[in-house]
Amino acid sequence: MGPKILTVDDSKTIRMLVARAFRPFACEVLEAADGVEGLTVAQRERPDIILLDLTMPIMDGVEMLTRLKADPDLRPIPVVMLTAESGRDTVLRIAKFGVRDYLVKPFKVELMVERVSRIIELKARNEVHPRVRRFGDALQILVVDDHPAIVEQIQASLAGTPWKVSGVSQTGQAVDSCGPTLPDIILISLSLPEGSGFALFQMFQSSVRTKAVPILALSVKTATEEQTRAQQLGFTGLVTKPIDSADLQLKITRALSLDTSHNYFQRRDHLLVLTLPANFNQLVANDICLHLRPKVCEAVDAGLSRLVLDLSQLKAADATLIKLGLQVIQLCAGLGIRYGLVGSAALGQECKNHEETRDWQFSSSFEEALAVLNGKTLTMA
Amino acid sequence: MIADLDELVTAAVTGLFSTMLHMQMAPVPVEPSVVNGEPHVAGAVGFIGRLTGVVYVHTTAAFARRLTATLLHLDDSKVQAEEMINDAMGEIANMLVGQIKSRLSDGGIRCVLTIPSVVRGSQFRIEATSSTEGRLFAFETQGKRIFVQFLFQPSGQTQN
Repeated sequence: MGPKILTVDDSKTIRMLVARAFRPFACEVLEAADGVEGLTVAQRERPDIILLDLTMPIMDGVEMLTRLKADPDLRPIPVVMLTAESGRDTVLRIAKFGVRDYLVKPFKVELMVERVSRIIELKARNEVHPRVRRFGDALQILVVDDHPAIVEQIQASLAGTPWKVSGVSQTGQAVDSCGPTLPDIILISLSLPEGSGFALFQMFQSSVRTKAVPILALSVKTATEEQTRAQQLGFTGLVTKPIDSADLQLKITRALSLDTSHNYFQRRDHLLVLTLPANFNQLVANDICLHLRPKVCEAVDAGLSRLVLDLSQLKAADATLIKLGLQVIQLCAGLGIRYGLVGSAALGQECKNHEETRDWQFSSSFEEALAVLNGKTLTMA
Repeated sequence: MIADLDELVTAAVTGLFSTMLHMQMAPVPVEPSVVNGEPHVAGAVGFIGRLTGVVYVHTTAAFARRLTATLLHLDDSKVQAEEMINDAMGEIANMLVGQIKSRLSDGGIRCVLTIPSVVRGSQFRIEATSSTEGRLFAFETQGKRIFVQFLFQPSGQTQN
């Protein structure tokens, strides 16, 4: 679960604010409304840090602190004061108890999280239990570039995805955009004035809230010096300008470890359909290969015993296609499942010209392939 | 220090609202703090020591609900319980008076704060007694007002 944070404050409002501030992190926030309750919870739960108010009913913060520091078991727990009282005398009096930090109300919750993260290690929830995200999820992408045309290019490049791209031109706006909800990924132009793109990256990396968000550098192809610097600083990846749609999607997919299998594999009429997209190339083939065996085995495990390899969007058979096709056929043979091929007559004719694909039998539609599969076995010898 | 009260209160109010509520409060001319039948909520925090008194922070119940929602990052509709609004108004008063008290203490006027309390009603009026001085401040943001009423014993009567 992560570290335990105990907030001791008579104001439920403050306790709710504290709980909300730490919600994005893998930690448990415990609450107490006064010093007596605070000591009880501290003894029972042994929190990793205590955020303590001063003025409270029943037992105030000073008395709780006195008792806490007198208890050998509780003494090591770091205490951060979170109080409306900031007078010099009060601060000096409290400092004698060995508190680790002193935050004054009113306060910015981001500052509180930052200060606490200096004392205990905070990890974003998705860092501890990463959720498998799919290519089809509605991702939020933040682009920081002072050229609106680049933001527009990126939006156009990703128009075929459900991803939402928002653009800002200044680093301050980028920080504001990471307010209550963080983007899933950030793209920062390295050519922002006065190296501010690098400074922004370092700021995001040093903040406990944003350090888990992947950040891609945007750079002109020939600007190798700034690309090297970005690599050294630890940017998640690099996207070169002008923007190439396929490259951009791939970089984002990799940076977020997106599950892309749904782009190619679907279940239909009790069989597994593997569809190769019109932009099929070596990168796509590699991506499909990553999912091929697990998806087919999963389908077999679920009781499916037929597969359709849909090549209807392809115009030509190149070595990459042939290699992948043979891999699919071999896997089907190994698992004892039947398969059918869907493709145009032209593609079928082209396949007959290759030694490896001479025996491939194509159906002109999914329905035809289904009928063939229901009628006879097409497994190659 | 008390002579600087206007400045102290203005700094405390504007600082509090911009930091925690992202609202820009501006001082406006004070009108008589007569509550004209509209439900109001007042958060109050007292201070005892070389200066003794109490500070009320009050506004309409509707705006108090909005302040609570903003403070907790909730929709207004999610803030139904009066207890939630009371607590938020008490904490706003606490943070406000805490800032003023800290500056007073640094200036040699030492005092301690009481825990917050809340007054609700449609017909109440906050008035100083004959032995108490009162100062009223008004602030506005987007047409909504809050009032800060500072009641204290004149220096001759405060504790030492």
